[in-house]
Amino acid sequence: MFIGTEKLTHTYMPGTPFATEALDEVSFSLKRGEFALIIGPSGSGKSTLVQHLNGLLRPTSGRVFFEGQEISSDKRGLLHLRRRIGLVFQMPEEQFFSESVYAEVAFAPHNLGLDESEIKNRVKDALGKVGLNAEQLQDRHPFQLSAGQKRLVAVAAVLSLNPEVLILDEPTAGLDPAGRRNLFDLLAMLNRDSGLTVIISTHHLDEVAALADRIIVLQHGRLVLEGVAKEILTRRQQLDDLGLALPAVTEILHGLAERGLPVRTDIFTLAGARAEINKLKGRREL
Amino acid sequence: MSSSITLGQYLPGTSPIHQLNPRLKIFTLFLMLVLLFSLKTFGGLIGLFFIAITLIASAKVPFRYFLRGLRPILYIFIFTLVIYLFFTKGGIVLLRIGFITVESEGVREGFFVIIRLITLVLFSLLVTLTTTPLSLTNAMGHFLKPLRYIGLPTEEVAMIMAIALRFIPTLMEESQRLMRAQVSRGADFESGSIFRKAKSLVPLIVPLFISAFRRADELALAMEARGYRIGAKRTRMYEDVIAPGDWVAIAFVLALLATVLAFSL
Repeated sequence: MFIGTEKLTHTYMPGTPFATEALDEVSFSLKRGEFALIIGPSGSGKSTLVQHLNGLLRPTSGRVFFEGQEISSDKRGLLHLRRRIGLVFQMPEEQFFSESVYAEVAFAPHNLGLDESEIKNRVKDALGKVGLNAEQLQDRHPFQLSAGQKRLVAVAAVLSLNPEVLILDEPTAGLDPAGRRNLFDLLAMLNRDSGLTVIISTHHLDEVAALADRIIVLQHGRLVLEGVAKEILTRRQQLDDLGLALPAVTEILHGLAERGLPVRTDIFTLAGARAEINKLKGRREL
Repeated sequence: MSSSITLGQYLPGTSPIHQLNPRLKIFTLFLMLVLLFSLKTFGGLIGLFFIAITLIASAKVPFRYFLRGLRPILYIFIFTLVIYLFFTKGGIVLLRIGFITVESEGVREGFFVIIRLITLVLFSLLVTLTTTPLSLTNAMGHFLKPLRYIGLPTEEVAMIMAIALRFIPTLMEESQRLMRAQVSRGADFESGSIFRKAKSLVPLIVPLFISAFRRADELALAMEARGYRIGAKRTRMYEDVIAPGDWVAIAFVLALLATVLAFSL
């Protein structure tokens, strides 16, 4: 087990009338280099779960593992852990506090206590990884950027830690379709090329389903489905019952198949669906 | 989790005490204070103390919340008791250490004052534990109304208090979220000298201010869009009517006051 949990339970405000159980005996595990999705409707415990993975929240009961070992609870251990497991929060651009993109991205390596030249390299590297031009952007004020660029800077601000695992909580909330696609392409590339383990929590599968190796489905704080992405994505009815829809393009193919047309329904990308439908029309691919 | 931070001490419930009109609760609390300080005999005080305990039991608020409320003022109790024990003279001498004496009158007076203080705190806690902060401020606003005649914008002051109260949990939640987010970026808010700690708060305070201003802006816009105007007459969704239960409560308190005064308890 590279990273995972065992019977992880978390209760907010235990012992008061306001106690709410956010997670109930959630167990899952991931291998190094996997691309995993944690999906579930809002309020299903996704954010609570990901905040356990880098030790921001402590389990009420159960355990969290990293590299086969239970994550330590002492301060030094946690500090070390958080450098190796990067977590990008929901709407991360709301955390910006610096007057330049450079300072924003440099915050994390600065906290690591690196020297200036190393910080400079890290910033350039991180901005490059998210496809931004460091020379062009680093002196701009973060608030002058577009929504999509801000989000990328926020991801770079965590990548500058050089983490081995990158966790993103609802990374596409508030982005337009182009911004979403751009971000997912980027994450897929980081996962494929640098072997970065990527964990994304989201409530809709559009655009991201095809990238996933594993899928974890939460509902009301319980783990309801877990497994290889390809297999989970065939359980259309079950997902539907949970209030989760397959990607829109896959739904279209299902619709066609239900009308008796010979199409495959295990396709989750726009390009794939287009090819399949064109095949149906007996045309060459456009 | 919106429920992870709660403001004040309010505990939701359905007891008759919870359902009393908040204005009446504040007014009754005031009467109780008058009552407490006009009591002269131990018997009367103990009687009122047990009335407080009975009301607490009927509100079905766990007693540990009251104990927790009493804890911060424990030192005041101890301090008061010590002062009375050593400095009030009269009656029989109970203890003599050199020239310091503890006399029976001091013990009597000391415990009288302490029980009075405890009862006072219990009654106040009973109000704050069973009333939402929002209805408390609304009720306060109501009592401030006469100040309008000397030119104070009381409705607006009440609105400011209500909004401030409403946003304290939101801002606390936000600061907690920001803190976790910056910790994920390697920030350390705990170690280092005071100077370092103060400096480490910048990544917290700047975004918090930005979002507070943004929220204020949005709220002002939303309020105006719904017709809020300074100085305009407001109507409420929940009119706080005086229900039959409230009359019973008021009759009870007045009867209590009359009894105490009539028999000079």
